[in-house]
Amino acid sequence: MEILSSLILLPLAGALLILLLPKVYKTSYKWITLITQILLLINVFTVLGIFDKQNPEYQLLEHSEWIRISLGSKSILSIDYILGVDGLSISLVALSGIVFLIASISSFKIVYREKTYFSLFLLLTASVYGCFLAVDFFLFFVFFEFMLLPMYFLIGIWGGKNRAYASLKFFIYTFAGSVLILVVMICMAISSQDEFFSSEYNRLVYSFDFRMLKDSANLIENALLSIKNPTLIFGLPARELMFFLLLIGFGIKMPIVPFHTWLPDAHVEAPTPISVILAGILLKIGGYGVIRVAYQILPDASVKYAILIAVLGLVSIIYGALNALNQTDLKKMIAYSSISHMGFVFIGIAAFNSIGFNGAVFQMFSHGILSSMLFLLVGVIYDRTHDRDIRSFSGLAKRMPIYTLMVAVAFFGSLGLPSLSGFIGEFLTLHGGFQSDLPKGIPALGIIGIVLSAVYFLWTFQRMFFGEFSTKEEYKLSLKDLNKQEMVMLGALAILTLLLGIIPNLLINYTNTTLLDILK
Amino acid sequence: MSVLEEILFSSTQILPEWILFFGILTMVFVISFTSKESKLPFYIFCIVIVLYLYSVIIHPATASAQKLYNGLIHLDKLSQFIKQLVGISAIIFMVHTRLFSYNYSGEVFTLILFVILGISFMSMTTHFMTLFVSLELVSLSSYVLVAMGKAKKNFEAGIKYLIFGATASAIMLFGISLFYGISHSLDFSSETFSNAIAANHSGAIQTVSFMVLGGFLFKIAAAPFHNWVADVYESTSTPVLSFLSFAPKAAGFVIIARLTAYLNLNASLTIVILLSLLVGNLAALWQNDFKRLLGYSGIAQAGFMLVGLIKFNSTDFYGTFFYLATYLPITMGSFFLVDLIFKKSGTTAIPSLAGLGKKYPILGINTVIIMVALVGLPPTVGFTAKLVVFSSLADTASTSGNYLFLGLLIFGLLNAAISIYYYLKPAYYILVKESTSKSSYYSYDFLLSLVLSYFGFILIYLFLAPDFISEWIMGVLH
Repeated sequence: MEILSSLILLPLAGALLILLLPKVYKTSYKWITLITQILLLINVFTVLGIFDKQNPEYQLLEHSEWIRISLGSKSILSIDYILGVDGLSISLVALSGIVFLIASISSFKIVYREKTYFSLFLLLTASVYGCFLAVDFFLFFVFFEFMLLPMYFLIGIWGGKNRAYASLKFFIYTFAGSVLILVVMICMAISSQDEFFSSEYNRLVYSFDFRMLKDSANLIENALLSIKNPTLIFGLPARELMFFLLLIGFGIKMPIVPFHTWLPDAHVEAPTPISVILAGILLKIGGYGVIRVAYQILPDASVKYAILIAVLGLVSIIYGALNALNQTDLKKMIAYSSISHMGFVFIGIAAFNSIGFNGAVFQMFSHGILSSMLFLLVGVIYDRTHDRDIRSFSGLAKRMPIYTLMVAVAFFGSLGLPSLSGFIGEFLTLHGGFQSDLPKGIPALGIIGIVLSAVYFLWTFQRMFFGEFSTKEEYKLSLKDLNKQEMVMLGALAILTLLLGIIPNLLINYTNTTLLDILK
Repeated sequence: MSVLEEILFSSTQILPEWILFFGILTMVFVISFTSKESKLPFYIFCIVIVLYLYSVIIHPATASAQKLYNGLIHLDKLSQFIKQLVGISAIIFMVHTRLFSYNYSGEVFTLILFVILGISFMSMTTHFMTLFVSLELVSLSSYVLVAMGKAKKNFEAGIKYLIFGATASAIMLFGISLFYGISHSLDFSSETFSNAIAANHSGAIQTVSFMVLGGFLFKIAAAPFHNWVADVYESTSTPVLSFLSFAPKAAGFVIIARLTAYLNLNASLTIVILLSLLVGNLAALWQNDFKRLLGYSGIAQAGFMLVGLIKFNSTDFYGTFFYLATYLPITMGSFFLVDLIFKKSGTTAIPSLAGLGKKYPILGINTVIIMVALVGLPPTVGFTAKLVVFSSLADTASTSGNYLFLGLLIFGLLNAAISIYYYLKPAYYILVKESTSKSSYYSYDFLLSLVLSYFGFILIYLFLAPDFISEWIMGVLH
């Protein structure tokens, strides 16, 4: 059974169905989307079930030849359709299953141009799954780039007031980043050859297969990325230059300071479900890309610049937190807190030990859950009042007790209360940081980031929820507690974060073997 | 072989050109004796084009290049390839004209045939004399084509085109005469020529080569010979423009490829590429007219195509021809799109596209596909083309130890990131913006939408299965 392909084909089929159904049936679009996402989640659970946790390699591989383009008379680009999961990608596939399902429920509120919305939504789903499942660099890149288009329109059509600017900025920023990745992809491909096929075709065969690229035995002698005879470009070995390009490319997506400026804009303008997807999944692709591409294919440069990665992470943590402190727009505050939390991922992967790596992946997963929750919570209040200003509300706890409970779970989870998932992620990444060769100051300063996040979350919580209930007159009637649909979404996420906080091994069991293998 | 025998033998080898020649004669004859409204010239045009394409396709591919007319003509697979492309583009022109019921007079079709004839000869020569004559045949016909409309701006554009074109030709002719002075040979594939080149100071050769290059850079609309583009694009009738935006360019690239085989043009080409990318992309940012925008985008695209002509040890220009083959459906599709939009909204100003996508979803989707193909994003063949052109550059350059390419690679691709801004503008207006005027009526053109979707389909299909183009071009080059 081609279960991995089904993860890509199902949403495509759903999108096609929506496009073909006439507008009379427009109420059914959201149900089609929801059912597709439920089916996808079932498939994801099936994959989780048959996944062999002890095997560090790619599993459930699906392989078929795709493109063979000659490059002149001497060489061939060989591009294959290869899908597979390993411990790294399976965690993010699982996360996608959850977050997309939640986002599709949250999309029920969309009442404008439903056909376009839900078909784009499903296209986005397909490309995200494709990105995580691809074992071929070219395939990965195609899905990575293709993601931009539905995202651009989803923000551009259904966004807030300033959506044109925000969506274009998002597009140009991430496209500039992916261009750098494209440069690296070309240079990597032409530096290593697939020996088996090279002798068969009697020409150099350049493969994009991740497994081929990461094996340094395949490197062509004197090639651009050769390890033995490093080529110097502007005084830098080519491998290190490539590493920097990758770091910038994926760093924009992640985003790390100083390439983060698109994120607050995009988040503020995006509609709630899209914010959820953006924070919950798309940001993770940056971290995933660094581990998958930079670490596995350029391990030498990665180890050499571990400090740089850690410092970038630290800067993101502190800078994001300080900015979050200063926001009056609740959504913007959460956007900056995202930047801050994604910084921990970088500290974790810079540690180069199993604790740090597991922590980084755990942090990505946990942030995916928590930030989805946070953005949904902002959506709740914005739907009711069309206002997100922290100063407009106080004493909400009395009027909306269940909402307050959910906000408490999300806030405390994010600031790292033990027994919730955020704590495990931050603890593991910093623990890994302390145990590594990094200067101890970096994880130590990272702790300040946690303190700062406690400050802004608790302060916001206090201002909005404690004290006497008071808000603008016109909001008073509309401020009702959560309805059932919101309770289902938020409750599910809250249970997940609690579950992972108590039994982190649920996730770590899946990731550990592969991450240990990467460390070698 | 005596001279007469040589001429007679050579004449049997160029059947496609004879078809064009007699087609033109018939056309001229028919035009003189029919009324202006007669459809006859169009049908003759169709027959001639189909016969031409047919004769090009069935022409036995000669294994090695063939010298005809004592070296004036150099028949090889590459010229066949260009003729096939031009034939296809003429067919698209035909379909475009018919579908939008343009009532061109017979002269337009005759001039198009002249352009094709010029391109045919241009694509199969390594002799400066043939080159110049055929280039002028193409140019003069295009000047008239551009100036042909009744409006004042047609005339203005035509004059502009003529003056810039004449200047470029003059510079080129000056360069050719200098080459003749240096080498006493007009055939740049001959040994006398290459010996003379080797014996002379390379700085002088570079300068003269650049002058010669000028004429072709003008044809492919590369900076700094691009000034005519915007006005010509804005005022020329769309199907003619669609044809002119592709066919003469194809010929220009072949000639530059042929020249680079014998002259080292890397330095001048690098400058031209950098300038074209910059000028094309930056100027396009400010355009509000769809056709002008496509004009500037064409300059940038020419820059991308030239990347494949930078020559290292083992380059065979594969990237450029791959790009060229994919550029045919992209550019002609985009002009088809422009015309369809013009039909719906009555103008080619980009803001007037607002809301069209909601009313005509097929138009909206295809606009996005075509624009995305121009940017070079997956899943369209535009991406494959950029990938191929840059990887073949990297492939050959990295083995020759020259890292100039890495700079070009990054610069070129970052330019693609800039181009996002203006290419997305039409897509943004057509899909995202709400229409402000409610008056426009709903009309559904099944045939037009079908053809447009066919362009969109081709662009995606070729991305998924590019092997066909790849093998086609490998067959041409080896």
